[in-house]
Amino acid sequence: MTVASAALGGRVQQIAPADYNIDIAAYVLEAGPRRNIRTIAYNSQIPGPLLRLREGQPVTIDVTNHTTSSEVVHWHGLFLPPEVDGAMEEGTPAIPAGGQARYTFTPRPAGFRWYHTHTFAGKDLHKGQYTGEHGFLLIEPRDHPGRYDQEIFLALHDWGSELLASADGAMDPAYEVSTINGRVLGFGEPLRVKTGQRVLFHILNSSPTEVHWLALAGHPFRVIALDGNEVPQPQLVPMVRLAPAERVSALVEMNHPGAWVLGEVRKHIMAAGMGIAVEYAGSSGKPRWEQPDSLSWDYLRFAATDPASPSEAIALPLVFASKFAGHGAMDHWTINGKSYPETAGPMLNAGQRYRLSFINHSSNDHPVHLHRHSFELRRLPGHSEIHGILKDTVLVDANTQVEVEFTANNPGPTLFHCHQQNHMDAGFMMLLRYA
Amino acid sequence: MWWVLPALAMLAGAVPASAQGNYEIQVYGADTVAPKSTMIELHSNFTAKGQKYLIDGVYPTNHQEHETIEITQGLTSWSEVGFYIFTSEQKGHGVQWVGDHIRPRVRAPDSWHWPVGVSLSTEVGYQRAVYSPDTWTWEIRPIIDKYIGRWYVALNPALERTWHGPDTRHGVGFSPGVKVSYDFSRQISGGVEYYADYGQLGAFDSLHNQQQQIFVVTDLNVSPKWEINFGVGVGPTAGTDHLIVKGIIGRHFNWKKESPLD
Repeated sequence: MTVASAALGGRVQQIAPADYNIDIAAYVLEAGPRRNIRTIAYNSQIPGPLLRLREGQPVTIDVTNHTTSSEVVHWHGLFLPPEVDGAMEEGTPAIPAGGQARYTFTPRPAGFRWYHTHTFAGKDLHKGQYTGEHGFLLIEPRDHPGRYDQEIFLALHDWGSELLASADGAMDPAYEVSTINGRVLGFGEPLRVKTGQRVLFHILNSSPTEVHWLALAGHPFRVIALDGNEVPQPQLVPMVRLAPAERVSALVEMNHPGAWVLGEVRKHIMAAGMGIAVEYAGSSGKPRWEQPDSLSWDYLRFAATDPASPSEAIALPLVFASKFAGHGAMDHWTINGKSYPETAGPMLNAGQRYRLSFINHSSNDHPVHLHRHSFELRRLPGHSEIHGILKDTVLVDANTQVEVEFTANNPGPTLFHCHQQNHMDAGFMMLLRYA
Repeated sequence: MWWVLPALAMLAGAVPASAQGNYEIQVYGADTVAPKSTMIELHSNFTAKGQKYLIDGVYPTNHQEHETIEITQGLTSWSEVGFYIFTSEQKGHGVQWVGDHIRPRVRAPDSWHWPVGVSLSTEVGYQRAVYSPDTWTWEIRPIIDKYIGRWYVALNPALERTWHGPDTRHGVGFSPGVKVSYDFSRQISGGVEYYADYGQLGAFDSLHNQQQQIFVVTDLNVSPKWEINFGVGVGPTAGTDHLIVKGIIGRHFNWKKESPLD
């Protein structure tokens, strides 16, 4: 049984000290030489502190908001009740400016999760997910699935956004600086490894809007989990792709001594800073980069190989479309013809399995996220039924359709939205309710 | 580009209804053509009601059909150079070459984060005396523009100078252009464009002799590769052609091999 509560007040009633404290406050990130970014951070660091929790073991986290705006912390990928999940749309109380909140919950399921702000940014590209308000959250399983020698957490983020005209005729955020763990390539400490090590990389894309491709020169990744959930078929891949809010956990055999670059595959993003040096013990010098000649990624590779059983889930089609708001504005977004809060979410029956068909009629890709539940990928564009891949966020490419299934097993209002900050702010949200 | 107007200021002062030539009728936006790409535009302008008499050896504009080819090459992410070939077709004169201009342009790069788009173009060129008494002209044109939601505003406060011809002694002329448009949909915008030549800076012509024209225009944004603009303009002053129909069709050509890795 899940134990959860979100106590709120001018001062948290300190019955007992919390397991973790998070202070939300203004912060100047030194991302690189002459690249100081004024933003907001958790505990004056970007990413915020790594929270290592035990599956099923209740935890208490005190959050203090030192900023001048309301805040809320969303525990992304956890099966939590709505009052503590960290979305005001579901009923989690906002933390007022200068206020505090105590989040108490029982973390589950095990795996690589994360936490981040879940506030509205709108036209202010210095709020919400545009800030440094994100951190890693690892729920340790009772039994560990794989052997590794070192664990490394990486967060990909984009900074310095401004609205520029895009090919579809609307304005979209564009970025000046891209970082890994808050630093541009060549600035900050390299990742230090040893020959023969098996390194488990936990990679998070915390970007407000951008998809990223990441490769480690000289080394393939063995992907073992997506969004913190083990995949049926771990695969060796030359690069990983992460849409906003997605996570990839991948093992790398350190068997190619030297100094290497782990970075964004696309040249202009790496030029904006997205990279980090990986240095073997005893190696030094300028890290090497080997430019891949194409982008490659397919969720399908990690699906189970045995045939999928026929689905008996109730179909819920969700059509995504844009509404033009002018060449000088960002598009507005609709789900089944309506924008949040007018979006009419389906009523769910507890225990029932549902198939969500994400029908993307727009020319934009959408990383859509379902709160408080995991879903199983069942159909990808151009493929027959698949199964076995559990996620909480999936990228639906422009003008394609993706189908997922989930079991309504966590009653309460459940938010579904595009994880691109500018899309969710402009109507791309829906609240699913339980009967 | 409104290069013939200053040349005609002289004529406007001499006769009640001056001759006028319109070869490229466009209020510039601040953006420049991307590097390794080319924009080719055809400007087609028909003077439905204009000057009907030969004045000082300059052909009348009435029922002149002007076809101008504009080729713009992007140099960097903040600069381009344009080249114009002006032609005129008229009953009794056939198709005639009128002249050529060259127009380098720079803009404030995106990395400057200016709240408005800003660029600066300069244009130098020759036109035959039978189409314009001023044969060599120079123009410098600041360009400021801004999208605000569905609205678009562009200002072109151009300054012009004649290097060879009767207007040489008249100093610098002021020829502003303004565009205000509204996006009815993602594909269709409509609005007004205003063109003027007030005459010499510090000694503007009388309103009667100034060049003033207002066009009702539409822009069709059917594809990022294409640029389409149509308009009908009226000139209420004596120094202006009274009715002009204009059209611009442009096509972007990208010479860079597209790669998702770039």
